[in-house]
Amino acid sequence: MTELRFCKRCLYGSDHPLGLVLDDEGICSGCRIHEEKDQLDWQERWNKLRKLVQPYKSVGNAQYDCIIPVTGGQDSYFIVHTVKNLLGLKPLLVAYNKHFNTPLGIANLANLRIRFNCDIAIKNVGLRTVKKLTRSTLSQFSSIYWPILAGHTVFPVEAAIRYKIPLIFWGAHQGLEQVGMFSHEHEVEMTRRYRKDHDLFGLEADDLLSIFDTLTESDIWQYRYPEDWQIKEVGLRGIYIGNYVRWDPKAQHEEMARLYNYKGAHLNRTFDTYDYVDCFNYMDCHDILKLFKHGYSKVTDHACREIRHRRLTRTQAEALVRAYEKRKARYIPQFCEWLGIPEESLRFLLDRARNQHYWYKQEREGWVFQGWSTKRVNILSESQETRGLTDIHAEFVAHSTLEHDHDPKYIVIGKGYSEKISS
Amino acid sequence: MLKKRIVGVITVKKGWAVQSIGYQRYLPLGRPETIAENLDRWGVDEILIQSIDRSTANQGPDYDLIYRLASRGLNTPLVYGGGIKTREHATAVISKGADRILVDASFYDHPEEIRRMASVLGAQAVIASVPLLFTNSGIALWDYRTQRSRGWPSACAGLLTDSIVSEILVIDKSHEGTPASFDISFLETPFLRGSSLIAFGGINKPCQIKDILDMPDVTAVAIGNFLNYREHAVQELKHSLPKGSIREPYYELLHS
Amino acid sequence: MITVGIVDYGAGNHASVTHALRQLGYKVRFGCSADVLDMVDVIVLPGVGAYPSAMEGMESRGLVKYLRKQAAQNRPMLGICLGMQLLATEGYELGHTPGLDIIPGKVTPLRSPRWHIGWNSIEHKGRDPLLVESDREIFYFNHSFIFDAPEDYVVAVSHHGLQFNSIVRRGKVAGVQFHPEKSQLAGNRMLKNIIESLYYA
Repeated sequence: MTELRFCKRCLYGSDHPLGLVLDDEGICSGCRIHEEKDQLDWQERWNKLRKLVQPYKSVGNAQYDCIIPVTGGQDSYFIVHTVKNLLGLKPLLVAYNKHFNTPLGIANLANLRIRFNCDIAIKNVGLRTVKKLTRSTLSQFSSIYWPILAGHTVFPVEAAIRYKIPLIFWGAHQGLEQVGMFSHEHEVEMTRRYRKDHDLFGLEADDLLSIFDTLTESDIWQYRYPEDWQIKEVGLRGIYIGNYVRWDPKAQHEEMARLYNYKGAHLNRTFDTYDYVDCFNYMDCHDILKLFKHGYSKVTDHACREIRHRRLTRTQAEALVRAYEKRKARYIPQFCEWLGIPEESLRFLLDRARNQHYWYKQEREGWVFQGWSTKRVNILSESQETRGLTDIHAEFVAHSTLEHDHDPKYIVIGKGYSEKISS
Repeated sequence: MLKKRIVGVITVKKGWAVQSIGYQRYLPLGRPETIAENLDRWGVDEILIQSIDRSTANQGPDYDLIYRLASRGLNTPLVYGGGIKTREHATAVISKGADRILVDASFYDHPEEIRRMASVLGAQAVIASVPLLFTNSGIALWDYRTQRSRGWPSACAGLLTDSIVSEILVIDKSHEGTPASFDISFLETPFLRGSSLIAFGGINKPCQIKDILDMPDVTAVAIGNFLNYREHAVQELKHSLPKGSIREPYYELLHS
Repeated sequence: MITVGIVDYGAGNHASVTHALRQLGYKVRFGCSADVLDMVDVIVLPGVGAYPSAMEGMESRGLVKYLRKQAAQNRPMLGICLGMQLLATEGYELGHTPGLDIIPGKVTPLRSPRWHIGWNSIEHKGRDPLLVESDREIFYFNHSFIFDAPEDYVVAVSHHGLQFNSIVRRGKVAGVQFHPEKSQLAGNRMLKNIIESLYYA
C-alpha cells in the first residue's frame, strides 16, 4: 500500500475509497472543489437550472415532469421543496423499502408526501429475496447495504422508464462533495458507471451471479440497471441539484425542520442529527463495518463537511471523531433477528471484515485500532481554544428519537391490517 | 472506407483513474477497469489508457492494470501508455492484452529502442505521445519530467520519416480539461507534417471535433475528462457529428 | 453446445476472444497439444506480431504438422488477423517464411499506406451466403500485411488505398483480417455467424 497521507485542511486520508488526490500544498481534491462553493455565482447557477428544466415542464396537469427518489432521512425534503415549490415541476416521488426502517423515518416520509401533497411509488422487493441477498453480500463483501444501495439507485431509473418521465432529481453528488471528483461546473449527471464503481463498489446485479452459486437470476433481476436503449428512448437524465445550489446539508435540514416539520434525532455514532435517521443500521452495524473495512466511519465524513463549511476547526473535528467512532452499535439484536443469524455469527463476520491495514489482533488486548484517527498525529496537541463538544452538539437539533413513539423495531412497509388465521 | 475514430482516454495516477487538468491538477474518478468497461459498452472506437506516473517514478509498465483491463474481455481495441522503455516492455504489454502501445519519454530518450519495438510489433502498434505548447519561439515540445519546454529532437524526426511510428498523439498540454479550447494550429506543426495525427486536450464540442476530423492528416480525436460527465457521452457526441466520417453510435441490448 | 479451441502458440493475448466466444454461449478451451485441440469442435487461431516468430512458435510446439493434418481432415478452423495470414502458403515479412499452406496465397506488405489501422467496412463477394448479413459492416483492423489469394477463396474485400482481402475461406477453414473480438456488436455477430457457418458446413 502506498504511503498514507492526510489532507492538511480536513481529515481525509489518501486511501479514501472514492479516491483522493492531494495537491502540492497538501490540500485534498475534496477541499479544493469545496472552495468553489464560496467562489461561484450561485444566482447564475440557479438561473442555469431553471433554464435546464424549462423544456421538461409538461403543459397539462395530468403528467409527472420528473422523479424524485426519497427517504425519511436524507435530503428529500429539500429536494422536493426545491423541485416542486421553487422550480414549479410536478414530481413523482419514489422510495425503495430498505427494511431497516425506523419509526421516525416512516413518520418523516409520511409527513413529506402529505405536506407536499405528492404522489409516491414504493419498491418493495420480496423479503426472502432481500434477506438471501443481504446474507450473501455480508459474508462475501462484508456489506449489509448492497441491496439497499442497488435498490435506491435503480428504482428511480426503472420508474422513469416505465412512466416515461425523462428527468430524475438527486441532491448532491457524493463523489463531488466528499473527494472533489468533479467541479460543480462540470455539471455531472447520473451515470451507470458511477453507480457501479462507487455505489455498488464495482459489482452490478449480474456480477453477483458469477460470484455466488446460491443466487439465481430471480434473486437479482430487480436490481438490474435498465438497458441503454431504454434510457435513450425516454431521453432520461439524472440531475444533481448540488451543481446549481450552494449545498449545505445542515442549513438545509434546519430550514426544512422549520418550514415542514422534518425531524432529526440523536445518533449514537455521530454528532449530526439530521441524516440517516430513517435507518436503524446505517449509523449502526453498517457504520461499524465501514470503520472495520476503511479505518474511518461516517462521523469523519460529517466532520470534514463541517470543517469545509468553517463551522468546525480541524482540532474540534478530530475531537468529535475520536469521541464517536469507537462507540458500540445499539441495534445488533434487531438486525440478527431480521437476518436470521445468531449474534455470535454476526460478530464473526464483522471481525472477518477488519482490514489488516487498520486493525491487528493482540493476545491480551484483543483488536487494536490503527485507523485514520490514530495516524493523524499532533492535532489535538495544537494549542487552540476550543468550544466544548457539548456546544457543538447543541447546534445539531434532535426533534425526536429513532424510535419516535414506538419500540426499536423495524417498521414493515405495506403491512396493512393483519388478522389471525384460524387453524 | 476507413473511418475516423473517437478515442476514449483514461488517465491513471497511482492505479486510480483521474481527471487531468492542464497536466497539473487531478481529480479522482474511480477504477480504470469500470471506466473502460463503460466506454466499451458505449461503443467508443478505441480506449487509450495512460498511466502517468510510471516514468517519473522509474517504474516499468503497469502490467497489473493491463491484466485487470484485459481480463474484463473488452471488445474494444486497447492502447496502453506509461513506463514503456524497452522492446521487452512493449512486447509484454501486448501479450498482457493491449492491442497497441503509446510511448512518451522513451520516444525522446531512446529512439533506437522505439525502432526495436516497431520491428517486433509492427509500426501499426506504436503511437508516440507529443505534448505541445506555445513559447516565445513558437511551438515547442513539453517535457513533463523537467516541467520545461524543449525543441524537437532530430532523432525523432528520423523515426517519423522512417515510418517507425504509425500515429502521433498531439496533446494541447495547457488546454487539457478546459472545454472547447484545443488549439487546432498544433495539427499543422511543421515537424509533424506527413504523419497521421490524433488530437487530444480540451476537445468536447461537436463543431470542434468536426473541424479537427476534416483535416486530412487527422485519423482520430481523443477525449478524456469530458466523457465522464453524462450518460451515453460517446453516443451523444457521435449523433452530433455529420454522418459518414465516423462509425455510427448504438445503444446496447444486453438482456433479451 | 459448440466448443471452441484457441490455439496457444505464444503470439498474443486471448482474453477478448475468449470473452466474446463465452458471451456467445460457446465453451472455450485453450492449448497447443493434440489432447486439447482434438476434443474441440472449431479451432481458432488468433495472433498479433511478426510472421516469422509466429511460425517458429508453431513449429516448436508441433503445431504446423498438426494443423495441416486437421485441415486435411476437414476440421473447422478460423484464423484471426495474423492467424489468418499464417494459413497462407508463405509470408514475406522480414524475409521469406513458409506458412501453414492451408489456403493458397501469399502474405505481402502494404505499401502505400504502410498500415491499416481503425474501423473499415467489408464488401461481400457473394460466395458465402451465411456471411451476407455482415456485408458493409464495419470492423477493427490493425495490420501492415495483406493476404493475396486466388479469387475462388475470397469471401470479402476491403479498401484502403488499394483493395485487399478481408475474409478468405477454403472449405471448412476461414480467415478474417480484422479483429471480430475487438469489433463490438458487429464483431460478435460476425464471430457467431462464421463459427456456425464453419461448424455446420
